[in-house]
Amino acid sequence: MKITVTVNGQTSTADCEPRRTLADFLRHDLGLTGVHVGCEHGACGSCTVLLDGATARSCCVLAVQADGSEITTVEGLATTSLSPLQESFRRHHALQCGFCTPGMLAVATELLRDNPSPTEAEIRTAISGNLCRCTGYHNIVTAIAAARDQGDSPNADTPPQPPEA
Amino acid sequence: MTVAGGVIGARVSRAEDVRLLTGRAVFIDDLRPPGVLEAAILRSPHPHARIVRLDTTAAAAHPGVFAVVTGADVKSLVRRPQPLIWRLAPGGPETVAYPLAVDKVLYTGHGLAAVAAVDRATAEDALELIDVEYEPLPAVTTLEQALAPDAPRLHEDWPDNVAGRAVVAQGDVEAAFAGADVVLRETFRFARQWGASLETRGVVATWDPFTSHLDAWVNTQSPHLIRELFAEVLGLSVDKVRVRVPDIGGGFGSKSGFYGDQVVAAVLSRVSGRPVKFLEDRRESFVATVHAREQRIDVEVAARTDGTITGLRGTVHGVLGANFSTVGLSPCWTTAAIMTGPYAIPAVELDVVGVVTNKPPYGAYRGYGLPKANFVHEHVVEALARHLGLDPHEVRRRNFVTEFPYQSPVFVYDSGRYAECLDLCRDAVRRAGWADRVARARAEGAHMGIGYAFHNEVSAFAPSRIVNMSGLDHSGFDEAAVRIDSSGRVTVHTGQTSMGQGIHTALAQVAAHALDVPLDHVTVVSGDTDSAPYTGYGTAASRAAAVGGAAVLNAATRLRAKVLRIAAHVFEASPDDLEISDGVVSVKGVPGRSVTLAAIGDAAYRRPHGVLPDDEEPTLHEREVYDPVNVATAFGCTAVLASVDVETGAVELLGYLIAHDCGTMINPMIVEGQLQGGAAQAIGGALYERLAYDASGEALTRSFAEYLLPTAGVVPPFGINHMETPADHIPGGFKGAGEAGVIGGGAAIAHAVEDALAEFGVRITSLPITPPDLLAAIRAGAER
Repeated sequence: MKITVTVNGQTSTADCEPRRTLADFLRHDLGLTGVHVGCEHGACGSCTVLLDGATARSCCVLAVQADGSEITTVEGLATTSLSPLQESFRRHHALQCGFCTPGMLAVATELLRDNPSPTEAEIRTAISGNLCRCTGYHNIVTAIAAARDQGDSPNADTPPQPPEA
Repeated sequence: MTVAGGVIGARVSRAEDVRLLTGRAVFIDDLRPPGVLEAAILRSPHPHARIVRLDTTAAAAHPGVFAVVTGADVKSLVRRPQPLIWRLAPGGPETVAYPLAVDKVLYTGHGLAAVAAVDRATAEDALELIDVEYEPLPAVTTLEQALAPDAPRLHEDWPDNVAGRAVVAQGDVEAAFAGADVVLRETFRFARQWGASLETRGVVATWDPFTSHLDAWVNTQSPHLIRELFAEVLGLSVDKVRVRVPDIGGGFGSKSGFYGDQVVAAVLSRVSGRPVKFLEDRRESFVATVHAREQRIDVEVAARTDGTITGLRGTVHGVLGANFSTVGLSPCWTTAAIMTGPYAIPAVELDVVGVVTNKPPYGAYRGYGLPKANFVHEHVVEALARHLGLDPHEVRRRNFVTEFPYQSPVFVYDSGRYAECLDLCRDAVRRAGWADRVARARAEGAHMGIGYAFHNEVSAFAPSRIVNMSGLDHSGFDEAAVRIDSSGRVTVHTGQTSMGQGIHTALAQVAAHALDVPLDHVTVVSGDTDSAPYTGYGTAASRAAAVGGAAVLNAATRLRAKVLRIAAHVFEASPDDLEISDGVVSVKGVPGRSVTLAAIGDAAYRRPHGVLPDDEEPTLHEREVYDPVNVATAFGCTAVLASVDVETGAVELLGYLIAHDCGTMINPMIVEGQLQGGAAQAIGGALYERLAYDASGEALTRSFAEYLLPTAGVVPPFGINHMETPADHIPGGFKGAGEAGVIGGGAAIAHAVEDALAEFGVRITSLPITPPDLLAAIRAGAER
């Protein structure tokens, strides 16, 4: 089937088998390998992208279902310098192997857009559908909270602090 | 040699991050060489069955299929069965396992045929056309079933299902028990669990039929080991095998072994003449990657009434899979080898018994035997304290090793300050106000408690002499090369593997520190056996930062001396009168007399005339092979605040504090990340994770819907306090930190649950602590 999607601002038309998942379509047909497939059944969240502005697990969406939609993958979050959210992840060591990171960034992007001042509990709830096997989540929560605070006062540039002990 | 100040010890952000944050990293499934085929493996639906008939004709004829191989085909193309590199005793039983099953399948998921096709979907379509007739056989999946006198035997040429025995012993155990004031006994059970990295295992193999050369991309922690074992199995000299490592989406030990599917990919490439990719899908990863942790441990402890532990004896039963993994019984031996933990127990006798069952092979997972040992010795301390009416921390202190070096039953502990670390943790608990919180909760009728566990860890598992003596058929040294190029920038070449733990950043910090150059002038390169320095064993066993770091430190220190010699020639000064700061060499106390590393590099490579001393070899390159004389013992204390819902048996973790000492820290931020991530895996292991099998031997846990990894909603915030007791025998004083977080968590959580349920007298002797089990224990306690 022929489908047309706009991914990271670029419109593409491609032929694809009806059984092709959106994740495989983005990875293999469009070369967007920042979309990571960790479980293939919607449990881990690594493949999460923004589909018409809302997070979606691209392993559980067929490419043909995304026909006509606008998609943002991790490759679309920044072009030559890191976004404030990405920068916050880096400053706060919120990633280790990086496999879950594109999904985490998608969820955090949606959260901070819809709720610019989430509490720590709201941050944890928002990312609780995304598995990370490396970090124990602590630094991911810290990084999203710091990006939130930076959104409140754009000049804030506090160095990372060791965890409260 | 110890180091202080400067870039070592700095909380710098990681060099690895930008690629990972922007989708520019390249993981194994992102590699698509021209003409690549994708493989799929036919896996047994039976836990134990004879293969009566296997017909691949229809699969081979399916459009898009390039190659189909059976277990017998693969066996005919290899020189030997899958290698075992760790033997506890020479002459012990060994499983004979080929990359795919040949006559019998021995566990649900055991591969028996493979297809390479234009894509994975086509390969899976072809698998459905393979006609197999099985003769099901009775299966054993529990230790008790496997040891029963009339148990079905997995390996028909063995007398029983016992896969090996070993003994860990020290001192006079008979005398210790004969003279004991008190003897306690307990049995512990640990469920099957595994690493479960979010990226599954994969390989892209390209066989060159004209040169008999294998080029394999593998997301492995052990590229040199994999190269050696590929060569052994395929009957090649080592130069004919190249192993390259892409970005790795987590390893945790499960990507350290040599797997049959790696050989299958190579064979499919040889048969098809095309590059072949095999990548586990998530469902098959649950049966295709090594499992771990499953043990039953029976111990007796002898003690005096003052709490002094005088003897420990018992048996560690390793509930292995049907075939050995690359490391055999060694994770279970490690449990026994470190069973005394941080305590000076003079008399020890532990039998290690490995037993095969109809389940996937048992291999490495972060902690490698230590979490079980920790659970046992910390339970013993708490039980003894209860029995004798003592404070458990007093029992810990009374038994701590205090003088170093200390000869434990197997390893020599190099250094430690255990009592101070215990105090550091307890102080953190006091500052956090947990005792008041527990008192308030209990006053309101809630069930809240605090638990502790103290651990020590044999890290830097590297000394080749020691690892060979332990039965490991491989060295453990590390080789590193440090170069300065003609523009004065530094490249570190290492055999260590980057798998998310930040080793590139850590090694760059070490080199930048030793050379006094800006951190961003250092690049670390790894991951290609054609060019990388050699590392023994691999990136595992908490060895990369300690051993790799020491190798880089020594090489960089020698390179610094060469830079100073060249600069001294330029200045007609003594090297002793020079200093390097931020990549500029200058004469101490003489402003303006300086030369950049870029100028030194230019002289060393391009324009030596008049700058490079006559007796100095061109280039700026130093190589180091570092093989430590001993392991390095890190240590720590974990405290957990937990509440239990006595109506449901659900455990909620409310606080998690760690005091930790891994010697000189290269990057405390990375150490904290390792501790936090390890702790989350301890939480999963303590409360959620179990690879379940039904009575017939069927694998029930085949997805993340059934095998529950902890989420952000159940993992609490962590607080970490550091101490630094350098390893005197390791340059830099580094010790390992990668596994520490996972070791003490299970025991600390169990003790917090026991404390919360003190009124019910609940004792936790098995992991994971599931709500149904805990509810039953609460109800049993309430009825007492």
